[in-house]
Amino acid sequence: MANMEYNVPSERWPAHPETATLEGKNKFIGFWTFLAGETALFASLFATYLALKDSVPSDDHLLAADLFQLELAFVMTMFLLTSSLTSVYAVYHMRNNNFSKMQLWLGITVLLGLGFLALEIYEFIEYTHLGHTFRSSAFGSAFYFLIGTHAFHVCIGLVWITLLILRNAKRGLSVYTAAKVNTAALYWHFIDVVWIFIFTIVYLLGVM
Amino acid sequence: MAEIKQEPISQKKLEYIRRERTKEMRQQMVSFALMIFLTFVAFGLVAMDLDASFVIPIVIGMAFLQVILQFYYFMHMKDKGHEYIKLMMLTGMFFAIAFVTTFIYIVWIGAPIE
Amino acid sequence: MASATKKRGVGPVIWDYMTTVDHKKIAILYLIAGGFFFALGGIEAMLIRIQLAVPNNDFLSAGLFNEVITMHGTTMIFLAAMPLLFAFMNATVPLQIGARDVAFPFLNSLGVWLFIFGGIFLNLSWFMGGAPDAGWTSYASLSIKSPGHGIDFYALGLQIAGAGTLISGINFVTTIISMRAPGMTYMRMPLMTWTTLVASVLIVFAFPPLTIGLFLLTFDRMFGSSFFLVETGGNTIIWEHLFWIFGHPEVYILILPAFGIFSEIFATFARKRLFGYSAMVFATVLIGFFGFMVWAHHMFTVGLGPTANAIFSVATMAIAVPTGIKIFNWIFTIWGGSIEFTTPMLYALAFIPSFVMGGVTGIMQAAAPADYQYHDSYFIVAHFHYVIVGGVVFGLLAGLHYYWPLMFGTMLSEKLGKISFVLFVAGFHMTFLIQHFLGLWGMPRRVFTYLDGQGYNTSNMISTVGALMMAVAVIILLINIIITVAKNQKVGRDPWGDGRTLEWSLPLPVPHYNFAQTPLIRGLDAYWIEKKENDGKMMPAESLDDFHMPNNSIIPFVISLGLFVAAFGALHFASGKEWAIDAVSDLPQHPWALWVLILGLAIVFISMGVRSWKDDLGYYVTKEEVLKDLEEQERGAK
Repeated sequence: MANMEYNVPSERWPAHPETATLEGKNKFIGFWTFLAGETALFASLFATYLALKDSVPSDDHLLAADLFQLELAFVMTMFLLTSSLTSVYAVYHMRNNNFSKMQLWLGITVLLGLGFLALEIYEFIEYTHLGHTFRSSAFGSAFYFLIGTHAFHVCIGLVWITLLILRNAKRGLSVYTAAKVNTAALYWHFIDVVWIFIFTIVYLLGVM
Repeated sequence: MAEIKQEPISQKKLEYIRRERTKEMRQQMVSFALMIFLTFVAFGLVAMDLDASFVIPIVIGMAFLQVILQFYYFMHMKDKGHEYIKLMMLTGMFFAIAFVTTFIYIVWIGAPIE
Repeated sequence: MASATKKRGVGPVIWDYMTTVDHKKIAILYLIAGGFFFALGGIEAMLIRIQLAVPNNDFLSAGLFNEVITMHGTTMIFLAAMPLLFAFMNATVPLQIGARDVAFPFLNSLGVWLFIFGGIFLNLSWFMGGAPDAGWTSYASLSIKSPGHGIDFYALGLQIAGAGTLISGINFVTTIISMRAPGMTYMRMPLMTWTTLVASVLIVFAFPPLTIGLFLLTFDRMFGSSFFLVETGGNTIIWEHLFWIFGHPEVYILILPAFGIFSEIFATFARKRLFGYSAMVFATVLIGFFGFMVWAHHMFTVGLGPTANAIFSVATMAIAVPTGIKIFNWIFTIWGGSIEFTTPMLYALAFIPSFVMGGVTGIMQAAAPADYQYHDSYFIVAHFHYVIVGGVVFGLLAGLHYYWPLMFGTMLSEKLGKISFVLFVAGFHMTFLIQHFLGLWGMPRRVFTYLDGQGYNTSNMISTVGALMMAVAVIILLINIIITVAKNQKVGRDPWGDGRTLEWSLPLPVPHYNFAQTPLIRGLDAYWIEKKENDGKMMPAESLDDFHMPNNSIIPFVISLGLFVAAFGALHFASGKEWAIDAVSDLPQHPWALWVLILGLAIVFISMGVRSWKDDLGYYVTKEEVLKDLEEQERGAK
């Protein structure tokens, strides 16, 4: 039994391949624990943002209500929500041991994520032109730190999923790679969870 | 440590698992539709320029609803084996609300609560 | 692999420790590095006490004094107490739950190297233009104004070390949740494991707010943002909140594992089952939860308003209840036991009254109106040294003596141990008891000297003499360690003779795979049960077979090094820039800073990519190898 049994033949493909090994189970529990920590991290960011919202040095500085556009935030939300669904598809196919479809849906997730990121960069450039920058006010600092940390998470998620698609292209699906894909999918969903609070608390409550 | 002790799955069992998965996928589609719907309503309410004290609690409530859908259906928190995870995320959320509340009310800008 | 640790040169041994993922070796790394920083923090403490020994002293200048007190606090909390606790957690927890390693051996190694590099970075400030000088709490109103790079070292060094702690916390939670041996239910876990679990959960929730707080400080000082700059809309109270949201749970992160160590020691040397085990578990969890709900009691005098003060005041007093439960349970454990006065037991016995005194003054400060009197006086200094030295450091010293045979296979001298115990405990009370009164007489904390004729002279001298006694005690402890290592007299299985929990059932030195066969756990105090009801051998839960172990890796070291390099880039990034804050805008510009920052981060991300790209499948320990080891142990026992 001294050889590795990661490559399970399809008739023995487990119902939950991502947690079939002890390593997979550890990854699953460890990553959720990490996400719990991320909750505290983003809570601190939201708290800082709310404390410093519209806190600007002079009267002529732009405030949240002047800046945010609902249309853009709405489109970005749609991109990210849909990408969350596509990564659900990827996990579904992973559990069904359907490697090529899993890769396809992961690829679509990355494309949607890129779309979201592009809009976010466009938004940042817009605001910078309007004089709302990281250094212009405490409001600006808090805004860019909160949204920027989320955008940084999106970047990490994109690089991570892309790396997984590439590295698994030759290796195929095994209980070893399944655990990796599942973890990345959880991460991607969590990014979406954070965004739900961002569009509600920053954008929706911001324009009111 | 690494090897899995997975018995071959019988044809019947496999069909059952597949069926369950399809069912789950249907649930996920429904929750996605709900999430899109909630997003529409939230943006709509704000765009309609209603009274803030009416809109804010609703919009925040809907955000929590969306997050619950995301956690339970997209991230499989409804499945068994997630008891510890529910406990951790609930604790995290509780702390998160505590942090945010303090930062709104007691950062000593203006009048702190009496 | 690790089985080939017979006689080797220095080079391979160092390489082995740099790449190791074995929790027992990582425990030793934590012990050595933590011990080093403990000595450093101790030297700083001595400098403070020498400066304050007589009025109007000029042994240290005012500025240097500020740097010394800041570094003393920061070093002791982040670089000494926490790593030393991690040393014992690493050394015991996987063994107590019957696991062959932690859940993420790679991350375990990453955690220790991040801590070591963070600690080195922080202490390099001494040689690179001055240490941080805004106190260990580094309140933003003060730290933003602090000229030079001191605070930058604080923010970046703690960021790196804190990342390591967070990673280790996640690792321990996962290990305890998912890697317990068959039969090891939650309510059969030894208290050390329970307290580690709760402390790790606290780390998971408490360190991210610190991360954010440190980022805000970093951005303000090095990247031109204005979170704390009032003139552009900033608010320095945010730092206080974030720091104490982290800082209060932090003291429970420190004390809970110490409680765990004491619980093990009381049960072992009273030769009794721990009294009220389930109440102890309940109290541990409750302390952990309350620990998060009370942070603003550090900020009563900020002016949060009576409502907020009242809420946090009541919540703070509530913590006394579970802590009281614990104290009574320990006393009842000793009650009627057949007590053996070993060095660890002596520390444990001294801990109870010392810690209760610290706890009682804590309740005094929890009353918000009274706290206005105590705030920023030596009363506070006395209080937190009573809980941290009387609780955590006693726990560390007790743990050092108690777990030394488990970690190194030899016994520390009991005679020297008892001498250093007497000196340490006497010196501790002499140093800090009088400081309560100094505080009530009006001596403020963090002042570098005081005038003659205020009635502080004698008390400060007593305090300094007490501190000297503690220093002598630590030197005797070091001599003890050196003698023990030089003699190298090996001891066998269950060296204390009364081991109750699973870790003592293992042969010494513990094989690198810990358990030849995963044991079956039949109840609380698993090993004791087998000793009383059986032949004193753990029953195996699996047949003897090949099993799987993780590979060593240098990547954790490289990632930590990358962050270390990046930190130097960030440090000099704002120097002399026009947008920089006043504190660093006069310094010479460093155009290379950005490139160093990018280089460091590139090292980090490329290493992470490599780690993700390669399959790391580990290796197998064969049945034959295990059988050979078992035979050898058999022969050794005869």
